[in-house]
Amino acid sequence: MSIDFYWRLPTHGCHNSLRTSGYERGDWSPLQPGNIAPGLDRDGAVDGFTYIDHLGAIARAAESVGFQGGLIPSFPNTDDPWVISSLLARETSSFRFMIAFQPGFGNPVHIARMAASLQRATGGRLLFNIITGGGGPAQLWWGDSFAHDDRYGRTSEFLDIFRGVWESSDFSYDGRFYQLRKGGLPALFRREEFPEIWFSGSSDAALQTAARHADYYLSWLEPFDQLGDKFARVKERTAALGGEQKCAVRVDLVARPTEEEAWADIRAGFENVGEETRQRWRGQATDSVGAARQAALRPSDARRYDELIVAPNLWGGFNLLRGGPALGIVGSYEQCAAQLDDLIARGADAFILAGTPHLEEAYRVGEEVLPLLGRQVSALQAAAE
Amino acid sequence: MTLNIHWRLDPAAEPQRLEPAARPPLPALVRDCRAPSQNRFDYYLQVADAVAQTAFDGLLIRHHIEADESRIIAAVVARAVPRLVVVPEFPASVGSAVYAAKQAATFQRGTHGRLGWALAPDADRDEREAAADFIDEEDLGLRADEFLTVARGVHGERPFTFQGRHFEVLNGGFEAPLNQHPFPRIFLQGEEDEALAQSARHADVHLFRPAPADVLAERIARLNGLAEAEGRRVAAGLIQPLVAREDRESAERAARSVPLAAGTLVASYDGAAELLANAVAAGVSELVLEAAPTLEEAYRIGQHVLPRLRARAGSARQAA
Repeated sequence: MSIDFYWRLPTHGCHNSLRTSGYERGDWSPLQPGNIAPGLDRDGAVDGFTYIDHLGAIARAAESVGFQGGLIPSFPNTDDPWVISSLLARETSSFRFMIAFQPGFGNPVHIARMAASLQRATGGRLLFNIITGGGGPAQLWWGDSFAHDDRYGRTSEFLDIFRGVWESSDFSYDGRFYQLRKGGLPALFRREEFPEIWFSGSSDAALQTAARHADYYLSWLEPFDQLGDKFARVKERTAALGGEQKCAVRVDLVARPTEEEAWADIRAGFENVGEETRQRWRGQATDSVGAARQAALRPSDARRYDELIVAPNLWGGFNLLRGGPALGIVGSYEQCAAQLDDLIARGADAFILAGTPHLEEAYRVGEEVLPLLGRQVSALQAAAE
Repeated sequence: MTLNIHWRLDPAAEPQRLEPAARPPLPALVRDCRAPSQNRFDYYLQVADAVAQTAFDGLLIRHHIEADESRIIAAVVARAVPRLVVVPEFPASVGSAVYAAKQAATFQRGTHGRLGWALAPDADRDEREAAADFIDEEDLGLRADEFLTVARGVHGERPFTFQGRHFEVLNGGFEAPLNQHPFPRIFLQGEEDEALAQSARHADVHLFRPAPADVLAERIARLNGLAEAEGRRVAAGLIQPLVAREDRESAERAARSVPLAAGTLVASYDGAAELLANAVAAGVSELVLEAAPTLEEAYRIGQHVLPRLRARAGSARQAA
């Protein structure tokens, strides 16, 4: 058994640590002395580095310690993953670019051509995290007016065409959302490997589409029993359709030499969270099932950091400290490794890990946690059976 | 008026170069140590390097459905080659205008604002339907209009709301820091009145086909009139294929051995510089030159024609 480990490229700037709320890396906060990419030179002038230079540094760190690549998220105020991947294609060597993409945003044949071109530029290092969930006003910000269940139908048709033109030079399709007559990528492009598809989404519509199109079913971290059940359900459903579904978890880690040091960082970060941040989290509306599950944790109401410890080494307040899911793993290197082993025993085939700051933590997790993995998996699996 | 001179890269040109699957074999006598990691993008980079080193101002990258996607090439090239403005050409059928504008914002942020956009002419019906693009012929112009309105709108305004036939946005628009670089310069093309009117509304540069200087002057006057009516200014550009050699006879000999695009300029270095300077005198301020093979000719034109052209255009401007 071998497990795929990915890291994450933070596309909305990065904090110096979980304790600070400003973005000292990138230009999402006002530039101050000490900022990185862009920074200020000794005369106080902007130094000419851009945030892409920092993303390049994180990608090279991640590939050097054994991560296969990284997820590149996409939200309204982030940089764009396609452009990031193209810009960094030639200054990385094994790093695989996992582009978060919503199918509604592009013509499927053009997207297939872009994807094949990126495969050619990177030597086959492209893969996708296909996203359909989210909705309401957020979707109209992007210029997308589809209703929720329709979006999964469209995603499914989009992926049919994406694969269809990749595999045939004479592909036709007559769907509800897309039609195509005698299309296909040029022969040179069809030599390229079809990019792996990672699929997110917790609703029934999502699970059904994943079963048809996804290589990996990707979930945020949820309480372990709940997540184990979900993985079992996904694998079962896909097996019933005659396929095989691998499962992956996206999770933040605070890994430190000792558990005390890890919780001290969490505590300091929590105590620096302003009322404004809590209010923002309370008010956030979405029709995404995954986001609603996380919101049920109610971290914005907690008064002490330890009210949010939902299980040993499991903390439910990460979304107060940085954008993204609420639940994450906190502990010593050994404890973090044991938690990941536990998830592997419950059916995880791959991980997207992250820690703040992403550059230094890529080294830390790569050097201190990855080497400890696998010690407990078989024992845990045996115990489960 | 600044004269900008661009080179045009057709990613489908010289198709065997650095194409691992099309690589011509070497005879057994020659020890082959070409690295398997080399790929087609190495060739695009060589061209871009040549273009930058021979003092062109920009690189236009053609939209070619049989070849690598122009915006991917543009990003790879812009990251590696300093100074050059990079202008990928793509059709208005790529998808969401918001998404395209967002990609442009990251491109600008990562390259210190060196992106331009050229909208490709619409493909014919068969080609469109093969690309999952079912749209009525008479809607093509409107779609391009809306595409550019929305892209520029979300880049520059917040909140931006738009309800059109092809695009719809509610309370859109980019925040800092995504909106802190200029929107890419827009290059449009076409000879018909509709194309000129569209440029008057949206373009920063309108690219004409080759024509005698007096005809160009007439078209430019028409473009300027339409732009003025919109309260805008649009720079006139010219896409000019050329075969230039030391002397006219050599140029003509070279031209006989290759299929020539319509309007190809065949001349000595001095003659080419003179004819291009005439176009500049007629009002052209953006020249897009192209010749094959793309790499060698970028060096040739860059080294021999550009200095002559700049000298002439400079002295003509001083005289004026």
